[in-house]
Amino acid sequence: MTWIDFPLYSSIIVILWIIGLVFLLISYKKQAALKIANLLFVSGWAVMILFVVKLWLELDRPPMRTLGETRLWYATFLPLIGFVTYIRWKYKWFLAYSIAMAIMFLTINYLNPETYSKTLMPALQSPWFIPHVLVYLFSYAVLAASSIVAIKGLYDSYKGNFKIETLKLADNLVYIGFAFLTLGLLFGALWAKEAWGHYWTWDPKEVWAFLTWMGYLIYIHYRYFHTQNSKRALTILALAFVVLLVCWFGVNYLPVANTSVHTYTQY
Amino acid sequence: MSENNIKIQRNLWENPWGYVESFFIGIGLIITGLFLEVFSTSGSAFTLSYPFNLYFLIGYVVLLFVMYKWFTTTQLIRWLTKVPASISSIVLVTVLVMVMGIIPQVPSESKIITNLGLNHITSNWAFLLILFQFLTCLGLISIKRILQFKWSNFGFILNHTGLFLALIAGILGTGDLQRLSLDVYEGKPSWVATNINNQKIELPFAIYLKDFLIDEYNPKLALVDNKTGSIAHNDGKNLYLVEKGETYYFKNFEVTINDFLPNSGRIGARYEPVNELGSPPSASISVKNIENDSIQTAWISSGSFRYPYESLKISEDYSVVMTIPEVKKFSSDIDILTKEGERISTVLEVNKPFKHKGWKIYQLSYDDKMGKWSNLSVLELVKDPWLPLIYIGIFMMIAGAVYMFWMGNKITKNQ
Ligand code: HEM
Repeated sequence: MTWIDFPLYSSIIVILWIIGLVFLLISYKKQAALKIANLLFVSGWAVMILFVVKLWLELDRPPMRTLGETRLWYATFLPLIGFVTYIRWKYKWFLAYSIAMAIMFLTINYLNPETYSKTLMPALQSPWFIPHVLVYLFSYAVLAASSIVAIKGLYDSYKGNFKIETLKLADNLVYIGFAFLTLGLLFGALWAKEAWGHYWTWDPKEVWAFLTWMGYLIYIHYRYFHTQNSKRALTILALAFVVLLVCWFGVNYLPVANTSVHTYTQY
Repeated sequence: MSENNIKIQRNLWENPWGYVESFFIGIGLIITGLFLEVFSTSGSAFTLSYPFNLYFLIGYVVLLFVMYKWFTTTQLIRWLTKVPASISSIVLVTVLVMVMGIIPQVPSESKIITNLGLNHITSNWAFLLILFQFLTCLGLISIKRILQFKWSNFGFILNHTGLFLALIAGILGTGDLQRLSLDVYEGKPSWVATNINNQKIELPFAIYLKDFLIDEYNPKLALVDNKTGSIAHNDGKNLYLVEKGETYYFKNFEVTINDFLPNSGRIGARYEPVNELGSPPSASISVKNIENDSIQTAWISSGSFRYPYESLKISEDYSVVMTIPEVKKFSSDIDILTKEGERISTVLEVNKPFKHKGWKIYQLSYDDKMGKWSNLSVLELVKDPWLPLIYIGIFMMIAGAVYMFWMGNKITKNQ
């Protein structure tokens, strides 16, 4: 049981979720269909968890090392965020979005077969590894969601039917995501101190993580001071996400990449 | 947009200062800093060390306090405690850090980059000046909310004061930070370390290395293209750990591992377990070509610094090779010998440093050419007296983040 079984598991999950999405669509006409949709989402998610747990046991190390493994965690977290937001604010479209994104991540993984490697370098063998990465991935997933909200808001205001509720949803997501981003950053610093003796070295990945953090900081303060200017707030939020994307993928392509200890291993 | 339009209609520099003035001041600070970079001769940025950094900290905090307490009505202080001043400094710090994220922070051939100091942002005057404004904003609003303490300000204080403490202690602490590297050899005591400037520093204690140990993963199997010499399957992503009895598939070859020896030497046509310096791992493999059912059996080895590697050519195009084993864990079994004649035994490992008299001792590296036969262990010693203050700041921020997650945001709640 390793990534070798991934095609089987991911197909089951994706099929369950796609049927779920269809029922979700039907539920706009017939409310009862929503129950079935949720049932399908939850069963797909249960299969997902089963796969993650088995993979973790089999690899004998936390599956958080390669890009493919991080995508697996997105596919796990996004539906969770979708559910929680749905329970709290009843946005069906948001639930659909998070499920669709999760499907996309599973598909990317399916098309890029992953490593079977069990090895983990000594610096990564630390009790900080799991909280640091999980907290970060969770925060990225929430912030990604917030930027989708921002884009929807911009589109709505372009169409002239912008509702302040959209911005409130964005705020809530940013606060949750930012809190986790802060935790990820600080756990990383504490860990680096234990592993290398320096909590912050301005390694390129750290630089971009810091920039991401600052981007959302600007949003939070701008919103606090200007509760009315929604369009500029949405623009800031969308830009902050661009920085986050650079941090996540882009660092590997910048001229500073070759010095980073954080570039995801390809082997 | 209404709010802003009204603001722009008032005159520049009229009460209260808004974004235009804020960015004007911030960019002014940056330009000043860049001028200092170009024309100042001293090259390296100043660092304060004990006790001057402590005086600076106390003086700065007292000054902020005084400014807030008795000069709140002045234009400057009112501006510094408002969001536009903060946002402009956050934005400008972000811009400079972004420069650092794009331009490698190493000596550069470009005249412009070198003269403006864009390859050493963290000690660039422009960065220091704008960071100073950033910290001043942060310090003033911390004082403001602490003085008008309410429980609803609790999260705010944790976040802002925590960040203030962590940053200021981190910046001022660099002057007192000592980071030394120490080479220790098996069976020998060592007490002379080197600092970053390659100066020799004598330690108040000696370290005696009893044993240096490396744990390795098994080597991996790979299929190599005979022409290019590079790994041929799955873009080199999927390599299999060599384990006795396993069967793996590479393209149309079925590879079975009959035997695996972690330490071995070639004796005639085969490998036998031996335990001497540099004895490499080896494996006996059978390769079956699924197309024509032909079977080949042979020994392969990843080699070591003393012995050559051995691969198996399985067709015109491909060979099977064994990679050099990856390191799983390395550790140093040491004794710390103090001047008082004490002997403290401990094991150092990556992620498991040891604390001794204000020093933290880290396992850093070893002689990687020798690999697991290395009898050299490189340790790092760090003394950072400002660490407790930084940690207080960090833990306040952690608490602040948890608070933020739990309470959500006010704006949404109030409306
Ligand atoms: C850990 C990072 C930070 C977090 C989580 C944070 C969060 C917040 C929040 C939630 C507010 C709204 C006030 C409230 O709800 O009571 C706020 C206000 C504010 N923040 Fe921050 N902030 C951070 C860093 C900063 C920095 C670095 C600066 C300045 C350089 C700053 C300057 C301000 C200012 C001026 C206000 C308005 C205060 C007032 O009007 O009383 N913050 N911040």
